[in-house]
Amino acid sequence: PVVQPGTGNNIIINPNQRLNPVLECIRNVGKEFGDITPDFQVGRTTCILFLSLKYHRLHPEYIHTRIEKLGRSYNLRILLILCDVTEHQELIRELTKVCLINNITVIVAWSTDEAGQYIATFKQFEHKPPDLIKERLDKDYDTLLRTALTSINKVNKTDVETLRTSLGSFADIAKTSSDRLQSLPGFGQVKVRRIKDAFEKPFRNKA
Amino acid sequence: MAAPLLSFHKEILEKIHDPSTSDLLILARGLGLRRIICTLLKIYDSPQSLVLLVNATPEEEAAIGEELGIMGCRKPGLRVVGYELGKRERQDLYKKGGLISVTSRILVVDMLQSDIPIELITGIIVLHGERVTALALEAFIVRLYRERNTSGFLKAFSDQPEYITSGLSPLKNIMKELQLRTVHIYPRFHEEIKANLENRRADVIELYQHLTEPMEAIHHAIVQCMTTTLSELKRSNTSLDLDDLTVESAYFRSFDVVVRRQLDPVWHKVGPKTKQLVSDLATLRRLLTYLLTYDALAFHAYLETLVSSNTTTTTGAARQNQSPWMLTDAANIIFQTAKRRCYTLSKKSADRPSAVTDLVDDEDAWDALDAVEGRVKQPTASSQKPWVPDGMDPVLEELPKWDLLADVLQEIEEEILRQESLSAYSRGSNIVLVMTSSPRSSALVSEFLSEMEADAPKGRRGRKMMETKLRRYLYWKGKLANQKRDGKNQALPQLDRRGPQASSSNALDNSTGLSEALKKKDKERQARNANRRRVRGGAPSSSVTTSQLDADFDTQYGLLPPQQTVVVRAYSDDTDDQILAEMQPKFIVMFEPSLEFVRRIEVYRNSNPGLGVRVYFMVYQLSCEEHKYLAGLRREKESFERLIKERGSMLLPIFEDKRLGSKTGEHIIKTISSRLAGGRKELSAQTSQVIVDMREFRSTLPSLLHASGLLVIPATLTVGDYILTPDICVERKSIPDLISSFNSGRLYTQCELMSVHYKQPILLIEFEENKSFSLETVSESTKPYAKPAGKYPPKKSSGPSESERGPPSIQSKLVLLTLHFPRVRIIWSSSPYATTDIFNDLKANNFEPDPTRAIAIGAEEDPEAGAGVNAAAEELLRCLPGITAKNVKYVTGKVGSVRQLCELSREEVQGILGVEPGNLCWDFMHRGERKQ
Repeated sequence: PVVQPGTGNNIIINPNQRLNPVLECIRNVGKEFGDITPDFQVGRTTCILFLSLKYHRLHPEYIHTRIEKLGRSYNLRILLILCDVTEHQELIRELTKVCLINNITVIVAWSTDEAGQYIATFKQFEHKPPDLIKERLDKDYDTLLRTALTSINKVNKTDVETLRTSLGSFADIAKTSSDRLQSLPGFGQVKVRRIKDAFEKPFRNKA
Repeated sequence: MAAPLLSFHKEILEKIHDPSTSDLLILARGLGLRRIICTLLKIYDSPQSLVLLVNATPEEEAAIGEELGIMGCRKPGLRVVGYELGKRERQDLYKKGGLISVTSRILVVDMLQSDIPIELITGIIVLHGERVTALALEAFIVRLYRERNTSGFLKAFSDQPEYITSGLSPLKNIMKELQLRTVHIYPRFHEEIKANLENRRADVIELYQHLTEPMEAIHHAIVQCMTTTLSELKRSNTSLDLDDLTVESAYFRSFDVVVRRQLDPVWHKVGPKTKQLVSDLATLRRLLTYLLTYDALAFHAYLETLVSSNTTTTTGAARQNQSPWMLTDAANIIFQTAKRRCYTLSKKSADRPSAVTDLVDDEDAWDALDAVEGRVKQPTASSQKPWVPDGMDPVLEELPKWDLLADVLQEIEEEILRQESLSAYSRGSNIVLVMTSSPRSSALVSEFLSEMEADAPKGRRGRKMMETKLRRYLYWKGKLANQKRDGKNQALPQLDRRGPQASSSNALDNSTGLSEALKKKDKERQARNANRRRVRGGAPSSSVTTSQLDADFDTQYGLLPPQQTVVVRAYSDDTDDQILAEMQPKFIVMFEPSLEFVRRIEVYRNSNPGLGVRVYFMVYQLSCEEHKYLAGLRREKESFERLIKERGSMLLPIFEDKRLGSKTGEHIIKTISSRLAGGRKELSAQTSQVIVDMREFRSTLPSLLHASGLLVIPATLTVGDYILTPDICVERKSIPDLISSFNSGRLYTQCELMSVHYKQPILLIEFEENKSFSLETVSESTKPYAKPAGKYPPKKSSGPSESERGPPSIQSKLVLLTLHFPRVRIIWSSSPYATTDIFNDLKANNFEPDPTRAIAIGAEEDPEAGAGVNAAAEELLRCLPGITAKNVKYVTGKVGSVRQLCELSREEVQGILGVEPGNLCWDFMHRGERKQ
């Protein structure tokens, strides 16, 4: 009963957030006020509770009442924390525990801008497929080579360039001797050992 | 032969050898720390005892093992435990006792799994004591050790007092972590050592060499660039206390650390410009050393690589914020002068400026040209080599120290002759030892010596070598330009390129460009010039010997008498002592200054009475080299003084007895619940436990978890990093991890797996202690894209959203992740310490996890669950196209190493990965292949 049928492209905002400076920072999506239990409703089954740590310090009981009121509704429940105090460690620890018990996901933002961006993005990505964060294969050769080689500790992008221009392909690099690697500009003992470890040591031991 | 101990060595040993005490020894570098450690190990060696050596690098392990062997401690001597050794074998090894060197990560795991009988350890010897901090694995080891074993000894050693100076009371912190109460400090200016070493002084000749004019210009320009970069850095961060950063301190590597420490708390605010500046300083510092040690061509080539990797971004587009120093006049001087040291272009080519690169690109035409011109036979190859492009005049400036070295060798030779003519018996061999700063420069020096023309005028003695290098350079240059062009448009690379390789050893013989006639002539001349001296490749990596062998094969048979040998080596820590003791050289040339080596010579001189040693000490005058040497001396002295002062006023920590007894008491109080019949003892027998993935032992969290009282159980997990309860599974990501695993898609797969197997999947985002607790660090990249949005009326454009315009920010990816995995919770932790608190919180009143079940989860298809893993190799493998999180396990089971994968044929790779991914993977690995 609480969940209103999704009215399309607008974020529904609880009127009690009217004075929240975050509202100014929600850009690129439509906003409307409506009668909902959470602070923001950013999708059919997604809601956001907003909490500034400064406020939480003054009224520690507030968030508990809000969570309680929320009950079991909504599939994805977000607690958006605005981290605007320096002594955050204790507060975040306690909130993390509360949220874990109540099936709420915590998101921390450090500025109102960032918080606004989060809220907007939740709405925009409502129906977005996860391709953005899935494994992809469509990268070009240079990028692939660079990410592969820089995954080895101590190897930087200048080194990748050096390796490519003076040795050739990935397979060529794999079979280059340590002596040869060490004669390249910018390659010291440690770097060469790291490279050799990655290329030649077996993946596993026999145990 | 092992060198005898000097009396101060004996005094130190006297103080620390007692196996019932634990000590920290800080000794000045170069005074023979390894000798002391080896003697100590020898004393402790017996099958009845179990002595562990911790924190040694692989080189040190090998060298210590060898030295112990020499000292007669052979059966079985020092054994090394690496990840290759199986669990069962390790257990056996520990049981048999003796001296064992263990990698810290393995030792921690073994201690936690009780594979090693902790109570029975006789003692632990910790090297590199300066690196032991609260977060280091060694501190964890000591804690585990002391929990169960209070009678064993712990000896820690350090020869780097400079490390122990940051912070309030650094020495105390280290001693606290090592749980030690005594420290011995022996600087060079210690009374005993001073008296000991100044008995006999070596005969030192200091040679101050001036830089050549172009080198001086470059040197000056680099320093200027550093100054501008530094002042830029200061200007853009006025709020910070950066006043004590000077160009002089920027010569040292520790400078970077200092800057980062200053900037870390605000690192997210500083913007990409400052980050660029900080890394620029490191680059410039590297350039300074390269200027003095690389030959002109290699230096120039490095500069070119630097420029080309600096002007393009990862995607190949022009870069937004280039390094500011590259745009200054001084940088122009660097580039121009560096080029002029190699060659100049005369007018002819100035008319058509691109001629050179064009010519170089076309390798086949080159070969043809070479062949033709080679046969035409020019009278001498001296004036103009046929392969030098038109209009290019090779300058090929040589490093001034080369000449100096040639002269010095000449002098030594005469001296040897003179001594021989006197025919008085003298100890020591006539081998000349030349010491350089790095294997690379030692390779260069020996190459120079082997190809030197002694009768050539000064400054042209290495002409021949430089010409070979120029040839290689021209080839490489063509390749660089080529790659650049097709880097973007993905054209298939030159598969059948031939030509002289840039390989240092066999370039001459492989080069198809060099015609037969020329080769013959070279050989003849070499034979003619073969002078008395031969160079023996002493450095572990000097590859010169092979080419030398080929070049004049017949003169090389048989052993050379020692007076004809010059050994070129790089400084390599305490191993140098061994070399000196073995070779007993009378003549030593220090090609580059080194504080430690001077002391080694002092020790060597004093442990060999009656041996006349002459040392030639070469420094470039008024260069960073000289400055670095002097400043290094001063820094060491200051840090020793500070340490001594701290020791005087130190409050020694008293260690509480943390044995099992006291702990269970605490535990009982915790677990008694008053609900149960007024506190009746009804304990769960288990202590609170966390299952931790083996790979996580690289991070600091397991150590802290243990410190907070949790029982840490190491296991090889397929799903998740930490299992807190039967339902809670945690995947830990540091910020760089988070970014990279979002990019690679790994996080998606991991969340998928966690959601399948656990009720409560958790993503832990862990920030670093003392660093900014904020994500903005990573979202900066979107800023330049967000700006133009202001030009349009904000409300009007309902089109592309902010995040779609730029590359998607880490925040938006996080949003997407939560949308697709509504059950995944996120823990935001500002430091590992905060994480331990949160973990303890989550574990309260929950069931304990079951290790066997946790290991089994998701590991069904993995035949070798529980085996040791080479993390670096697996990481590299994952980055290859065609390899996904799903098949990576399968591949590691099928193929031994990355190199083996590279050697497979296309069909074999397809057989493992499947047709399409196999194709991708094979193409990637063999793109740009060079035909042999």
